[in-house]
Amino acid sequence: MKLTHITKRFGTNVAVDDVSLAFAPGEIVGLVGENGAGKTTLMSIAAGELAADEGTIDDRTSAGIVHQHFLLVSEFTIAENLALAMWGRDAEAIIRDSGIALRDVHRRVADISVGEKAKLELIKAVARHPRFLILDEPTSVLAPAEARELFVVMRQLAANGTTVVFISHKIPEVLEVATRVVVMRRGRIVADGGTMTASELAEAMVERRVSADEGRRRAGGGTAGGPPALRSSGLLLDRDGLAVHAGEIVAIIGVAGNGQSELATSLRDSLRGRVAHIPEDRARDGLIAEMTIAENIALAETHWRPRIAAQTASALIERFDIRAQSPLQRAGSLSGGNQQKVILARELERKPEIIVAAEPSRGLDIEATRFVHDELRAAATRGAAILLITSDLDEAFALGDAIHVIYRGKLSDRLTPAEAAERAPQLMAGVERRESGVGA
Amino acid sequence: MSGKLRIPISVSRIGIALIAATTAIAGLALCGIAFGRSPGELLAILASGSIGSSFALQGTLLKSVPLLLTGLSVAVAFRAGVWNIGGEGQFLVGALGAFLGARYGVIASLMAAVVAGAIWASIATAMRLWRNAPEVLTTILLNFIAIHLLGYAVNGPLQEASGKYPQSDAVPAGATLPLLGNLELHAGVVIAVLVAVAAWYLLYQTAEGLRLRATGFNRSAAKWAGVNVDGQLIRAMAISGAMAGLAGGIELLGVTHRLFERFAAGYGYAGIAVALLAQLHPLGTIASALFFGALTTGAGELQRTAGISSMVATLAQAIVILAMIAFMRRGKTSS
Repeated sequence: MKLTHITKRFGTNVAVDDVSLAFAPGEIVGLVGENGAGKTTLMSIAAGELAADEGTIDDRTSAGIVHQHFLLVSEFTIAENLALAMWGRDAEAIIRDSGIALRDVHRRVADISVGEKAKLELIKAVARHPRFLILDEPTSVLAPAEARELFVVMRQLAANGTTVVFISHKIPEVLEVATRVVVMRRGRIVADGGTMTASELAEAMVERRVSADEGRRRAGGGTAGGPPALRSSGLLLDRDGLAVHAGEIVAIIGVAGNGQSELATSLRDSLRGRVAHIPEDRARDGLIAEMTIAENIALAETHWRPRIAAQTASALIERFDIRAQSPLQRAGSLSGGNQQKVILARELERKPEIIVAAEPSRGLDIEATRFVHDELRAAATRGAAILLITSDLDEAFALGDAIHVIYRGKLSDRLTPAEAAERAPQLMAGVERRESGVGA
Repeated sequence: MSGKLRIPISVSRIGIALIAATTAIAGLALCGIAFGRSPGELLAILASGSIGSSFALQGTLLKSVPLLLTGLSVAVAFRAGVWNIGGEGQFLVGALGAFLGARYGVIASLMAAVVAGAIWASIATAMRLWRNAPEVLTTILLNFIAIHLLGYAVNGPLQEASGKYPQSDAVPAGATLPLLGNLELHAGVVIAVLVAVAAWYLLYQTAEGLRLRATGFNRSAAKWAGVNVDGQLIRAMAISGAMAGLAGGIELLGVTHRLFERFAAGYGYAGIAVALLAQLHPLGTIASALFFGALTTGAGELQRTAGISSMVATLAQAIVILAMIAFMRRGKTSS
């Protein structure tokens, strides 16, 4: 199968951007990348479930795809679900042929475990003997032993000449089973090779987007020695490893999906006092699109009068250089960068003691990114304790006085930027065991 | 929000409401054909029966009072993103509360109505917060409980002393709402309009109203902005229930003076149509309530003079709800 110059857009968003990729029989291809990198879209096009806007597919073979979400009828038994997929064949025979263990076909799917449901989906796909099999995050719901079992099946299929594509963002698994690794980022292929180390892979997956000259450091770090302004021992953190002092920026970096969102949410729900939050999912959590800029900014205020709110908003629009016609413009009609500036204006107007900023520059252009960074630095200089959660390494290095790596919900030791530059790739890939004691 | 006091109703939104209202009246007029009457004739009866005389006009205003309050009840709840469909039940327990408080005078009686409605609605809030039970279901189910509670009351403990009909005795004369001048109108008209203005003030002129609307538009973003969204839910439901309860109390003290089965007569549900036609705006609700009030009294006239069931007023409500939902949907997809 050969994909040539494939492009797919959803509205203005380019999900897959001019990708060409050829597959050989018997390969196990690990397709990795962060959420939204375009992996699933590309493979849905390969499987014929989605039509590409541009590009051609040659030598299309019978393709099967196992989706991340199950396409099973919960009220039916395992045997009945298999009958829906393969009418007229004995369910137990289908399972035996697939090489995947799944006992008692007369159980209702609603009653079996998530791992078993994943297996059932896989059996359905394998039973059709596809020449090209796509597995979308198949191990996300499997126990380690079950994942091993899956890898055995994948190797068997490959040995019989099937091309297996394994979509994942778990680096160790990909390295274990794949014979070739393809890395996608923002709809493009950024790496493709047979041998890659875990750290190369991690570096290829995360963005490095902030220009080098932006990396100028802020004079004077935090007031070390004083009591930390932010300390967390939330469930996600396996130790009291997180402490941010007044005037300090601590960055948390990692491949997306390793507990960053959960950390930000738990801090939102647990921190009290003058705390500012910049949410990660700007489209959903950032602003109330239906309300005006003035109303959005006023959400942080205790007292509110429409006229005063409009005056406050006008001043902030000027100071934060927000491109808006009036404070009474609907927030939803602003561009992404200007929406982020409104959020920043609102949150910094609280005169926060603590700022939790998640992906504050994601999707912003260079100029807007620089603006956001300058504002965060200025807030730290004023004495705020800032926790920056980012998947952009350069952002972490540009702003962070100290850096933690998050991997599977656990924080690494507190690293200096120099230590992080050296050790972060391994830590992000989960290949370096955390050492006890401080530093490396 | 500019220099002058700004009433945020845009012309296009009024246009949508006018189209929906016209559609409803046209639908009613066409119904006349099924009864062997010409549409024009029906419209003439509707108009004369609702606004054609001082008597008709007063009837319209009287019908508008409970519609305005239940409409406001729905508007405030929906603005907060809470689907309170329980206006009917809250109306009934409000009337029950007012009846029980009537011996202490009219003010105490109305206060009891407000509190009873708020508590009844808060049962749904509690179930929402405790077990995440959707209020769309719990408020409807609470309606049935309220209906049977009232049925039990007027057949049992609160039945009139003569024990003849399933209804209560009349409230003491001191607890009835005073009439305005030498009109047939009771003071509830004034109360309802004041409540509408208060609701507008709350929603559009206070920080709490801002947070309530923010929660209704986007709960998740409101939460990230630091709004206590559960607190908004609790408050919006209580206010909503209080207004529906007040409607029941005013209906008892101003119009019926007695409790009986079928006391609410659909005012709770009609509030949904009133609020939707007003596009959930408290001041728009005044106009919307007058429209439905006129439709209801006009439909009464249809029944008396043309023998057409007054249930056609319900048909008009349904047309308005469908038309407004269609417009709102279109607005959603095009934005």
